[in-house]
Amino acid sequence: MPQDMPPMGGYEPVQYRRNLPVRGFRPATYLFAIAGVMTYGFYRMGQGIREQNELAREKMWSRIHLIPMLQAEEDRDQVRRYYSQQAMEKELLGAETKAYNSDRFVRPTYAVTPSHVTK
Amino acid sequence: MAAREPRFNQHVLIDTTPMPSSIPPVQEVGASSAPLLSASYFIGARCKAYNDDFMKCKTDANGRGEIECLKEGRKVTRCAAGVLEDINKSCLEEFRKHWTCLDDNNQQLWQCRRLERGLNKCVFDNLKLEKTIPGTPENEVPVHLRKKQIFAHSLLSQ
Repeated sequence: MPQDMPPMGGYEPVQYRRNLPVRGFRPATYLFAIAGVMTYGFYRMGQGIREQNELAREKMWSRIHLIPMLQAEEDRDQVRRYYSQQAMEKELLGAETKAYNSDRFVRPTYAVTPSHVTK
Repeated sequence: MAAREPRFNQHVLIDTTPMPSSIPPVQEVGASSAPLLSASYFIGARCKAYNDDFMKCKTDANGRGEIECLKEGRKVTRCAAGVLEDINKSCLEEFRKHWTCLDDNNQQLWQCRRLERGLNKCVFDNLKLEKTIPGTPENEVPVHLRKKQIFAHSLLSQ
């Protein structure tokens, strides 16, 4: 019985590679393009961060220049209330008592309320 | 210092007793935050000595600064009020424009550079007070003098 043999001159080469057109640029082009975009983005971000730092410095110093004035006003108000409380205590109790065993200034936690509220 | 405000459950109650007459009175500054922010660098430029004096007094007073530094505090307040008064006298237009802009822009200084430039120029010409930000890097233009502000909303404001 005759055997099946390859045709004369051998088989045709098997087409395993797809014969489609390649779209777009070379991969390296994309790599470099994206690297460029990223580099530019980081550059702009760096600029923004530096500017933000300077803006923060500006805001901080404007506050630093104002703090003594604001603090002085607040202190004066606190001292006014403190003296008023001392005077009231003297009037009601006849003596000024110290609540704390130190001579530091302590903001009063409690304040005297009027017996009837007018407003 | 106990930083706790007295709380009441009915109304906001404020003790209105005036300061004892033994302590010299001083008119408070009474400006709101936007004018203060606008004028802060000029206050800092003129009142630096008084400010530093007051803060040093508070540091050295060891917790009794509120009462002991009243004198320095009055100087600080008078100086700041004086600066505001001078700005109002000579640069009212520019000053008002700038702080209105700050009020309208969430008090972001970089939104109002165009008006700030006018104000700085006017104040420098009339009062010889210059805005300088300490600690700025040497090799850069200070941020308040830059022509382009990266974070500003509109190009018109620059």
